[in-house]
Amino acid sequence: MADDENEDQKEYRWETGYEKTWEAIKEDDDGLLDSAIAEIIQKAKRKRQVQKAKQNRLGMMRHLFVVIDCSESMSVPDLKPTRLLCTLKLLEIFIEEFFDQNPISQLGIIALKAKRAEKITELTGTARVHLKALEGLANVTLTSEPSLQNGLDMALKTLKVVPSHASREIVVIMGSLTTCDPVDINLTIDELVKEGIRCSVISLSAEIHVCRYLTQKTLGTYGAVLDDAHFRDQLLSQVDPPPAAKTQHNSLIRMGFPHSKDEVEGKDAPLSMCMCHVDNLDEPSELCTTGHHCPQCKSKYCELPVECQSCGLTLVSAPHLARSYHHLFPVPNYEELSMESVPQLSECDGIRKCYGCQKVLSAPHDKMVFKCSHCKQFYCIDCDIFIHETLHACVGCNTIPGVAGLIYQQQQQGGKTIAAETHDMLPSTSKQQRQFSM
Amino acid sequence: MDAVEQAATKEAESSIDLLVIVLDTNPSQQFVRQSPQNLTQVLESIIAFGNAHLMQKAQNQLAVISCSHHSTDFLYPVPGRQVELRQIDGQYEAFSLVEKTVKQQLGNILMNAPRLSSPCESLLAGSMTMALCYISRLQRNVAAGAKMHSRILVVTGSNECASQYMTFMNVFFTAQKLGIVVDTCALDKTLSLLQQGCDITNGQFLKVTQLDGLLQYLLWVFLPAPQMRHKLVLPPPPKVDYRASCFCHRELIDIGYVCSVCLSVFCKYSPICTTCHTIFKTPGPLPIKPKKKKKVEKQM
Repeated sequence: MADDENEDQKEYRWETGYEKTWEAIKEDDDGLLDSAIAEIIQKAKRKRQVQKAKQNRLGMMRHLFVVIDCSESMSVPDLKPTRLLCTLKLLEIFIEEFFDQNPISQLGIIALKAKRAEKITELTGTARVHLKALEGLANVTLTSEPSLQNGLDMALKTLKVVPSHASREIVVIMGSLTTCDPVDINLTIDELVKEGIRCSVISLSAEIHVCRYLTQKTLGTYGAVLDDAHFRDQLLSQVDPPPAAKTQHNSLIRMGFPHSKDEVEGKDAPLSMCMCHVDNLDEPSELCTTGHHCPQCKSKYCELPVECQSCGLTLVSAPHLARSYHHLFPVPNYEELSMESVPQLSECDGIRKCYGCQKVLSAPHDKMVFKCSHCKQFYCIDCDIFIHETLHACVGCNTIPGVAGLIYQQQQQGGKTIAAETHDMLPSTSKQQRQFSM
Repeated sequence: MDAVEQAATKEAESSIDLLVIVLDTNPSQQFVRQSPQNLTQVLESIIAFGNAHLMQKAQNQLAVISCSHHSTDFLYPVPGRQVELRQIDGQYEAFSLVEKTVKQQLGNILMNAPRLSSPCESLLAGSMTMALCYISRLQRNVAAGAKMHSRILVVTGSNECASQYMTFMNVFFTAQKLGIVVDTCALDKTLSLLQQGCDITNGQFLKVTQLDGLLQYLLWVFLPAPQMRHKLVLPPPPKVDYRASCFCHRELIDIGYVCSVCLSVFCKYSPICTTCHTIFKTPGPLPIKPKKKKKVEKQM
């Protein structure tokens, strides 16, 4: 483990020089702090987005285990109301966000209780199951120490049998500073490295050497939280799919696209039950005419995506796949410029406006504006964030026909054209396309 | 009336309803080519409909975006100087402001537009991204405690273009996330992408068969707020086809192969992905081949 020092370039806070945080705040010409504060807010808003690295190959089909520490140390009230309750609350947000962003992925939860690991939920693709299980965890008695090794072993056992084209990950949330393991944990870590399972750890107390070592070896991320907001950021950073692991095998996966059954003219579809609720005694199945039928074996499901229980085919709908495309074709970051560079509109009394939301730009709040290098339009900071974090489509590039058209042609001349037939599913904005063909 | 319902009505009365109309003003639309008069008629209906929306509640807000063949612009509201206004026939000023601004702006746009040599597509998805930016700004600035319900109404007679697929999908998912309802009023053809969007965001899709009755259709189907639509008898939702079309032949498929790296859809197994150039590990088909060879050997 001597190589740690070379690999880890990060300095600790106490090793850096004395920071003069107040020097960042400067008075403007009128002796006011408004502009300085507005600037700080802007910078903070943009920070997260700039950090997002561009990735070409991602592990889009994820199998993720969340390992939650349920030991005595989770009852500490430094995160309000307690570490455990705060974790569960944030996990609820995480799970919804995870399935929203990764619709064809699966998730499972493992709890570390009194030196033992207990699987709370199996790997499944439905958020409902997990949210229900999390509710149950809130009343668990917190005693003794956790065992990191047992938790990892249990996740490993399940992830081993997952098909190799999927990205396999473990996220551990540790409250305790100690772990009580049956044998040498290095054996488990070596096994995880061999399988190419990415492990990330979020520590709620302080940095633990064995956890950092684990994340370094398995190419995961490590974070110790400062407060609940920081915890939230750390957790939500796990929502974005990681870069595809080298060990991951690429393959074509057979999938079914169910559609409502072709009915006989003028007749309603017959009443039937769905497979997902047939065995479920808590919520019995209802007879209805609507549903999604597996194209292979015709069994009915009320929700997608799902793996067919009778023939094992993965059933998805086209929008599910489309929902993940924005990870693959992100909008390039905009250029930051000062407000004076925005041209004034002659017909509207020389005002400057944001191309996206039509806001009239004015100092000091819009001191910085953002320019797309493709469509040459200017955006305010809020639109910049909205476009990159939520919308995932540049407004200018999609509304100005010349921009889209021109680069299309350029690309075709460049000989880098993706087969012409594929246009229907490809990104409409040309710049996204260019990235894609790299 | 019980307490819950009372609270709901109170909430509905105090909330702000924002309606953004995305109007397709592309001259290559079928109905405009038949007779340019039709566009005037559609515009009149849209203005009357917009005013009807403003009339329902004092807090209601309206925006109109024009999506033409060369650009997307806001017809109402316009930042900066207001149009000069005088009360006409006792009409409420806000209504004549909408009418004047929309007509003046659209006039400017059409006059400045480059001549159209061949029919071209309307970038509707792009116009909807602009609508979303506008809505998200207004929603950010809503006073604490007040609620805002937003929706987008697309009125178009264009064909939809598959090249905008990605943008459309991004728009629909963003709208779904922000709780914005997307309604579509198709004037000419059935639009399957926008149909999907209406289904995803719980909006209403309507294909108008007679242009003469446009205003009536609009007032009947699209004027009531989405929250009270379940109490009304509206056209039944069309069956939406969610099948994917394969990248290789552009045909709708039931069972297909999906690339694990870029999620492209293919109808047949191929050893290399045409979109991301990934080489796949060959699973099923290979073991069959040696068997065949053996058989040949035996026969020989």
